[in-house]
Amino acid sequence: MSETLDLTLKVWRQPGPDASGRYVEYKLTEISTHMSFLEMLDVLNEQLNEKGEEMIAFDHDCREGICGACSLMINGQAHGPDSGTTTCQLHMRRFKNGDTIVIEPWRARAFPVVRDLVVDRGAFDRIVQEGGFISANTGSAPDANSVPIPAPVQETAMDAAACIGCGACVAACKNASAMLFVSAKVSHLSTLPQGKPERDSRVQGMVAQMDLEGFGNCTNTEECQAACPAEISVSNIARLNREFLRAQLCSKE
Amino acid sequence: MADTANTVFNSRVPDGPMAEKWDRCKQEMKLVNPANKRKKKIIVVGTGLAGASAAASLAELGYQVESFCFQDSPRRAHSIAAQGGINAAKNYPNDGDSVWRLFYDTVKGGDYRSREANVHRLAQVSNNIIDQCTAQGVPFARDYGGLLSNRSFGGAQVSRTFYARGQTGQQLLLGAYSALMRQVGTGRVTLFPRREMLDLVVVDGVARGIIVRNLITGEFEKYSADCVLLCTGGYGNAFYLSTNAKGSNVTAAWRCHKRGAYFANPCYTQIHPTCIPVSGDYQSKLTLMSESLRNDGRVWVPGAQGDQRRGNQIPDTERDYYLERRYPAFGNLVPRDVASRASKERCDAGYGVGSTGQAVFLDFRDAIARDGKHTIEAKYGNLFHMYKKITGEDPYQVPMRIYPAVHYTMGGLWVDYHLQSSIPGLFVLGEANFSDHGANRLGASALMQGLADGYFVAPYTTSNFLGSQNLPEVSTDDEAFTEAMANAQDRNSKILGVQGTRSSDSIHRELGHILWEYCGMSRERQGLESAMGKISDLREEFWSSIKVLGQGEQLNQNLEHAGRLADFLEFGELMVRDALVREESCGGHFREEHQTKDNEALRDDKNFSHVSAWEFTGVGNEPVEHREQLEFIEVPLATRSYK
Amino acid sequence: MVTKLAEKQQSSPSTGGKSATKWIMTLLSSSIGQKFVMGITGLLLCGFLVVHLAGNLLVYVGAEAYNGYADKLHSMMLLPVAETGLFLLLFAHIALAIKLTRDNQQARHISYQEPQSKIEEKPSLFSQTPMGNTSGWMFISGSIILAFLVIHMIDMKLHWNPGVDYSIETPEGVVEAKPYSIMVQVLGSFTAPFYIVGTIVLGFHLSHGFSSAFQSLGLNHPKYTPLIKKLAILFAFVIAAGFASLPIWGFFIH
Ligand SMILES: Cc1cc2nc3c(=O)[nH]c(=O)nc-3n(C[C@H](O)[C@H](O)[C@H](O)COP(=O)(O)OP(=O)(O)OC[C@H]3O[C@@H](n4cnc5c(N)ncnc54)[C@H](O)[C@@H]3O)c2cc1C
Ligand code: HEM
Ligand code: SF4
Ligand code: FES
Repeated sequence: MSETLDLTLKVWRQPGPDASGRYVEYKLTEISTHMSFLEMLDVLNEQLNEKGEEMIAFDHDCREGICGACSLMINGQAHGPDSGTTTCQLHMRRFKNGDTIVIEPWRARAFPVVRDLVVDRGAFDRIVQEGGFISANTGSAPDANSVPIPAPVQETAMDAAACIGCGACVAACKNASAMLFVSAKVSHLSTLPQGKPERDSRVQGMVAQMDLEGFGNCTNTEECQAACPAEISVSNIARLNREFLRAQLCSKE
Repeated sequence: MADTANTVFNSRVPDGPMAEKWDRCKQEMKLVNPANKRKKKIIVVGTGLAGASAAASLAELGYQVESFCFQDSPRRAHSIAAQGGINAAKNYPNDGDSVWRLFYDTVKGGDYRSREANVHRLAQVSNNIIDQCTAQGVPFARDYGGLLSNRSFGGAQVSRTFYARGQTGQQLLLGAYSALMRQVGTGRVTLFPRREMLDLVVVDGVARGIIVRNLITGEFEKYSADCVLLCTGGYGNAFYLSTNAKGSNVTAAWRCHKRGAYFANPCYTQIHPTCIPVSGDYQSKLTLMSESLRNDGRVWVPGAQGDQRRGNQIPDTERDYYLERRYPAFGNLVPRDVASRASKERCDAGYGVGSTGQAVFLDFRDAIARDGKHTIEAKYGNLFHMYKKITGEDPYQVPMRIYPAVHYTMGGLWVDYHLQSSIPGLFVLGEANFSDHGANRLGASALMQGLADGYFVAPYTTSNFLGSQNLPEVSTDDEAFTEAMANAQDRNSKILGVQGTRSSDSIHRELGHILWEYCGMSRERQGLESAMGKISDLREEFWSSIKVLGQGEQLNQNLEHAGRLADFLEFGELMVRDALVREESCGGHFREEHQTKDNEALRDDKNFSHVSAWEFTGVGNEPVEHREQLEFIEVPLATRSYK
Repeated sequence: MVTKLAEKQQSSPSTGGKSATKWIMTLLSSSIGQKFVMGITGLLLCGFLVVHLAGNLLVYVGAEAYNGYADKLHSMMLLPVAETGLFLLLFAHIALAIKLTRDNQQARHISYQEPQSKIEEKPSLFSQTPMGNTSGWMFISGSIILAFLVIHMIDMKLHWNPGVDYSIETPEGVVEAKPYSIMVQVLGSFTAPFYIVGTIVLGFHLSHGFSSAFQSLGLNHPKYTPLIKKLAILFAFVIAAGFASLPIWGFFIH
C-alpha cells in the first residue's frame, strides 16, 4: 500500500538573525507517503546529524494543527498546497515522486528570521497586549448564563476565535499585512456582548500597535484567507475596518 | 530526614465538614497588604491553562509576575491542543448534577487514589471557572436560546461538559492568555518566552528562583523571586509517542525533584482509548480523537479473528460491540482506562483491525443514520477533517480506526492542599502536580483542574504563603544561584561534549519502546524489573554516545531535545520503580498479577490506599518512598464498576 | 503616537477628549484610515467617471447635443471648484497610493523564490490576466492611468496636441474650436491609441478597486458582498468599454 518518494529539497539555511542565508539543496529517498511533512524533515535532520551537519531549525510543537507554531513557506505557499491545513498536518501523499520542494521561512520585516526556518512572531503578542482581551478580573464574573448570546453571534465569534496565531496570513500576503490576524481577534471579542464595553479602545490599541510593528497595508488581495489554516474569513477585515472607523469617528476619546 | 518527612506530609487539609473546608481555609489565610504586593515578585513557569491563569490572577492582585515558557509565545502552551471540553457542576441541563456528584464521579473515576478534600474543592470552584471564562469571551457552544449547552464525557451519567467546538482547550487558553497579555500591557507581568527552566534555586530551604536557558541566544539567565509556581505540564513524552506536544517535558519538574521536591505516583499514566493508530517507524507523535466522539460513535471489532474486510463491509451480525457488551450501564462511555484496556484485550486476542492489527473501529454509521450527516458534522466536523488529513480516509464513509495512546499523566510533583510542594515556596499547578485525579483522570477534568489551580486556588494560597513568611531579600549573585547556574551549564556542555554516534531521537524512541512495553497499559513484575535495567543501560549509552552538533550559544533544538531526554532517562526509572512497588491495579496502573476473573482491575485498598511520594537521593540511587495515607470518608471505598 | 494601555488605564476616562484635530490625525496616519481615504477617493473618482462617461457618450447623439452639454458645463460657475476638488481627490489618491505601496514593499523586504497563490476559485476572466484579481497590479495600472491622464490633460486642457487644431479661422477671426471638433480630432490623432490602452487599464484597475473600496470602508455582508464583486466587474467593463469605444469610433469616422 505504502508508496515512497524520492525528493529534492531546497531549504533556506541561516545560522542566526544577523547572518546572511542561502538555499541549500538536499536529496531524500524513500520517503513514505504516509509521513507528515514535518516527519519528512525529521528524517532529513536525522540524516544530516549522521553526516555531521547541523540540523535544520524549524518551529513546531503540537503537530496537530492547533498551536500555530509550525510555519513554513512550501513551494511559495504558506503551509503548503492544501487549504485549511497547517504544515504539520500536511502529508507527503500530497507530493509526487521526483518533486523539488522549496522551503522558506515566513518573510516579513515584522517577523525577523531567528535561524533557518524559525522566525520571531513576537509582534503578534505585542498586538494582543494592546487590547486583545476583555478586562474581567478573576472572580468578578457573573453567572455564565446571565447574558444569553444568540447562537449565530457566538458562532461568528467562534469562527474568528479559531485563529491559531501562526502568521501564515502575513506570510502569504504580498504586503506582509497582519490584518487577518488582527481582524480575527477584534471580531471575536467585539461581536460578543462581553466585549462591547472595550470595543473602541481595543481596536484602536491593536491597530496602532500593528502599524508600529511594520506590517504592510491590506490591499484586499485575499491571499491571507486562502492560506489561513483556520479558514478565517476576510469578512473579518471588513469588520475590523468598520470597528476602527466607528471608534475613530464616534468614540468620545 | 525522618522528621522533615513528617512535616512535609502534613497535607494541610483543613478540618471540618468537607463542604466547608475550602471556605474555612480561605478565612484562615494570611493576606498581603496592597502596598506590599507590589514589592513581591512571583515567578510562574509555564503559560498553559494553569500558568497563564495563575500569572494573570496574581498580577491582577498587584504582584509583580515573571512568566516563562519555552514556546515563542505563551499562547502556544500545550493546553491549546485540548479538544473535548471542560467539566463543571452547573447542572444547566437539569439532569441531577451537583458539586457533590462531580466530586463523587471524580473520586470514583480516579479509582479512589486521590485526596478527597482537593477533589471537593475542584468541584466547588468548577462553576466559577465557567463564569470566568465566559466573561473573558470564551465562545462556549450555545443552544438556540442563547444559553450554554453541554455534552457528555466518559465516567459520568450527566451532561456537564462545556465545549467550544472541538477546540475547547484552545479557547480556554486564549482566554487565559488574553488575561495574561492584558497584565503584560499594564507592566505587572514580564514575559519571558523561549526560555527553558533548567534548575530551581533553593535558598535556606525556600524556593527563591530559577535558572533558565534563553533558547535564542543560548545564554543562561538567573531570576530571583519570593516564590515560584511551576505549571509545566505533564511528562507523557517519556514514552516518545504520545498525544502531547513535541516540546512537553519533565525537565522542570524533574530538576525541582532533584532539589528536594517529592515526586508522587509517577506510574499513573493515562492511556487514552481513542487515538489515531501508529502508521510507521517514522511516526513522531500520536493524534487524539476527542473522547466526545464516544457520545455518538460505537466501538467495535469484527467477531472473527483476522477479519481483513473494510469496516463498512462487515455486517452487524459479525460485529462485536465489546464495550456495550461488557459494560451495559455506561456502554461506549466507560472511563478511559477501562476503554483502553478493553481495546488492548481485543487486539491482543487477535481481533484487531488495520494493517498492524493494533486498532479497533469507532463507527458513526448509526449516528449519521439517526441524526443526519449535518448534525454529526456540526458536532465533530473538525475532528473528522483532522482524521481524514492524517489517514487519508473519510470517516463519514468508513469507520475510524483508533487505538489507545499515552495522553496524560496523573502523577506529578507532590503538593499539599495549598498546592505547595515539599519545598516551601515552590507551588505546583496543573498537570505538573499529582493532586486531583488519583489513578485515572476523567475526561474534561484536566482543563478544569488547571484553571481551578490557576484562577481560584493558587492566588489565595501563594498570598497566604507570602503573607505568613518574612523572607529575606535574595540577589541572583547569591551562591545558590551561581551554583545552580554552573550546574545547568555544565550539564549542557557535557551533552555537547560527548560527540558520539546516536541521535537523541533514536535514544528517545528506544526509551519509549521500553516504557510502552513494560510500563504501558499493563505491567507485571518481571517486565518492570527488566525495564529498570534497560533504562539505566540506555541512560549510560546516552551519556557515552549522544551526538548533538552545533553550539550552545545559539538556537539549538537538538540540544534542547537531548537535555529533555536526559531527564526522561532519569525519570523513567522512577516511573518503573513506582509501578513495581504498587502491587495492585488501579486506574491507569494495571498490574497483570492483580486482576479479577473477568480481567477487571483489582485494587488493594488495605495496603495501597496511599500516595507514593518519592524523594531523590542521587541519579541511579534508590529513592526514598514516603507515603501519604488517603482517607475516604465522603465517598466510601467501593469497587469501581461501570457495568 | 500610541497611547500605551498602561497610561490609558491610569488616566481616568472622564478627563477630556482628544483635541478636535488630533483624532483626525490619528485616523489619517493609521493604515486603516489611509485605506479608508483611498477607498473614498477611489469611489468618488468612480462617480466622476460615470458622469464623465455619460457626457462623453453624447457624441454619439450628435455634435449639437455634445456641444450643448459641453458649453453648459463650461459656463457653470462652480466648475473650477469641482475641478479643483477632482484634482485634490486624484492627488490624495495618488499620494496615498505611493505611500502605501512603498510601505508594503518595505514590509516584505525579502521576497520569496516563487510565491504561488492559494486562492482556488478565480472569480472572473479578468483574473486570468496579470491585472486581474491580483491587487499587485494596482500601482502599475494606476501609474499607466496617470500617464494616460497626463496625455489626456495635454490634449484637452493644455491644448498642446500638435495634431489638433484648437482654433479655427472664421471670417470673424480666430475662434476656439467647438468641443465636438476637438474631441473628434483628438480621437483621430496619434494619441488615440493611448486612450484605448488607458481606459482598458482603467477597467482592470476598477475590477479590483471598486469592490475593494467597499471592503476598505468596512462594507461587507454575506448577502451583498458577492453581488458587489460581480457588480465591480460589470462596472469596470462598462466604464472601460464605454470610454474605449470613443477612440475606436474616432478611428472609423476618420
Ligand atoms: C491532545 C490532548 C487533548 C486533551 N483534551 C482534553 C480535554 O478535552 N479536556 C481536558 O480536561 N483535558 C484535556 N487534555 C489534558 C489537558 O489539556 C492538559 O492536562 C492541560 O492542558 C495541562 O495544562 P497545564 O497548564 O498544566 O500545562 P501545559 O498546557 O502543558 O503547559 C505547560 C507550560 O509549561 C511550559 N514549560 C514546560 N516545560 C518548561 C520548561 N522546562 N521551562 C520553561 N517552560 C516550560 C510550556 O512552555 C507551557 O507553557 C488534553 C490533552 C491532550 C494532549
Ligand atoms: C480615474 C482614476 C482612478 C479611479 C477611478 C481609481 C479608483 C480606485 C479605487 C476605487 C480603488 C480602491 C480603493 C480601495 O481599495 O479601498 C483604487 C485603488 C488604488 N488606486 Fe486608483 N483610481 C484611479 C486612479 C489611480 C491613479 C492615477 C493611481 C496612481 C498611481 C492609482 C493607484 C491606486 C492604487 C495603488 C490603489 C490600490 C490601493 C489598495 O488596494 O490598497 N489609482 N483606485
Ligand atoms: S488569521 Fe489564519 S493565517 Fe493568520 S495567524 Fe490566524 S490562523 Fe494563522
Ligand atoms: S505544530 Fe502546532 S500547528 Fe503545526
